[in-house]
Amino acid sequence: MSDTSLNDLSDTKLDYSVYVRERDTVLVTWHTGRDVDFARGVARHRDMPDSKKFSVALAKAEHDQRTLLQPRAGVALLREHTKLLNDLSPYCDVLPTTVDAYTRHNRYEEAQQGIDRSRAAGKSLLNGFPPVNHGVSGCEQLVDSVSKPIQVRHGTPDARLMAEITLASGFSSFEGGGISYNIPYSKNVPLSRSIRHWQYCDRLVGLYEAEGVSINREPFGPLTGTLVPPFISHTVALLEGLLALRQGVRCITLGYGQAGNLAQDVAAMRSLRRLAHHYFALFGYGDYALSTVFHQWMGGFPENEAKAYSVIALGAAAAKFGGATKIIVKTPHEASGVPTMEANRAGLQATEQMINMVSDQGYLATNEIDQEVALIEREVHSVMARVIQLGQGNLARGVVLAFEAGVVDIPFAPATVNAGLMTPVRDNNGAIRIFDQGNIPLPDDVIALHRDKVAERATAEGRSASFSMVVDDVRAISASRLVGRPNPLPQSL
Amino acid sequence: MVGEADFRVILGVIGADCHAVGNKIIKSVLEPLGINVVNLGVMVSQDEFIDAAIETGADAILVSSIYGHGEIDCAGFRGRCIERGLPDILLYVGGNLVIGKVDFSDVENLFKTMGFDRVFPPSVDLHVVAALLKTDILQREGRRQEIIDYSDVRRAG
Repeated sequence: MSDTSLNDLSDTKLDYSVYVRERDTVLVTWHTGRDVDFARGVARHRDMPDSKKFSVALAKAEHDQRTLLQPRAGVALLREHTKLLNDLSPYCDVLPTTVDAYTRHNRYEEAQQGIDRSRAAGKSLLNGFPPVNHGVSGCEQLVDSVSKPIQVRHGTPDARLMAEITLASGFSSFEGGGISYNIPYSKNVPLSRSIRHWQYCDRLVGLYEAEGVSINREPFGPLTGTLVPPFISHTVALLEGLLALRQGVRCITLGYGQAGNLAQDVAAMRSLRRLAHHYFALFGYGDYALSTVFHQWMGGFPENEAKAYSVIALGAAAAKFGGATKIIVKTPHEASGVPTMEANRAGLQATEQMINMVSDQGYLATNEIDQEVALIEREVHSVMARVIQLGQGNLARGVVLAFEAGVVDIPFAPATVNAGLMTPVRDNNGAIRIFDQGNIPLPDDVIALHRDKVAERATAEGRSASFSMVVDDVRAISASRLVGRPNPLPQSL
Repeated sequence: MVGEADFRVILGVIGADCHAVGNKIIKSVLEPLGINVVNLGVMVSQDEFIDAAIETGADAILVSSIYGHGEIDCAGFRGRCIERGLPDILLYVGGNLVIGKVDFSDVENLFKTMGFDRVFPPSVDLHVVAALLKTDILQREGRRQEIIDYSDVRRAG
């Protein structure tokens, strides 16, 4: 089923016999696949203490209105990766395993070379942990050597083998989705194929659920992390949530990436939760556990570490005011790539301090936040209505057609299946607005509002809005501002 | 003499790296400065860069890598250019080229040893890159011109 065409794409629950036949073809794509044993995996999860289960940690945080901290971390070798996670563990609530980029593209031969060269070099030459190459026994050793829940975080259009291996080993959460792990992470993968491959992953999670083992699923919220308007990432999160529920997933965490304007970010988190309950109910689902995750700034960071902490702290504040169940933490090394353990710990501590200080404050209510919530919800309803209409009762098909038509359009994405016609830009307060809507269907008054906001900034800066303004915005935070102002600034700013 | 429109470069992000933002921005900055950019986008192999350079007669290959596997992905690139008949093509590389926070001068030395002509950190001003690119291309063209002139003289003799 690796060449699913649009016509074959269904959004019904995959038939068990179809799953089983497909599984035989998936497990032979790398030699470690033969060690996957579903029954043993179920038993491992059942025997695991609650303190190592993602679903339990999330439910408890939801109940207590706490915000869990999670770093990103992954290195090539098992022993070093285990040490890294155990060193980070005292400073966070839930653990990651960030997967290397070769594995994300199923390039296991190259991942193996990376492992071998890392061993020879005495340091990791891979940007993450390759779970498929380490296989079930390696992943089991890892899970057994840590004391907290552990999640697979990656960026893989076809993660079927990785899901089989890691879930059987005892990982209790799996990030990604057929849209969010295709459009920002690949170049030439047809959307119908990645959606189909993620239906397989979600079906597998559903099989664990049917055995009473709850596995958390987390669609990747931030997408390209570059000037993504909240309604776009929310639409993708809702669609992936619905596709996952269809396959039997029950524990879902929807995500959003920090945009930078506090009111817009808080509004985005609050609206995400409301919208999820709305659409999940609309499609007939009641039996699910919902939580949210906030990603600190995913774009370019300042090189200066002190400046980077400010970006991290602003994100932490937005996450907590927005009511996030979990926050994915950045580090002061972000501008340089993969961080050291010490940098990662520092990012966690900076975040913790801000979360604690905001926790002591009440609910933050402002007119601006309310207006942003209302705006985001209207935008999402407008786009979702068109996707549902395009699908004619088949949501998966609706998604593919929506991307083809540019109805859903993600800025700065590498995938050729993304229209790339919509152009975002910051307004004078740094909130992300639409400069050119491309083919995204939005009400006329909403478009007029975006146009006015962009015009307000253009006037303030004494220049007309253009793509060079957008380029300035992309580089602004690494150059120590939020909005990409012209240089030199007009007197009024 | 080389005219303004004759600066032709191949641009792409190497290996399994799918970071597209910087790639789109590099193109958007270089083109208005008179550099003809053939953009291969993300996830480009060494041979795809070289194929495009041969097909278009490019003066330079601009390799980006932001995800940390640059050291592995760029190994043997100059050798492959020589094998494929492009011994003198300018090779630029930039981004976060190795895993972790490493002193940039060490990274620069590493990649220059690997045969890259210029090595840039992610924070480089793209206008500086454009100016260096033009200077380097003109210098190479000049040298190539001298070699051609010399062979003409020999033929004439």
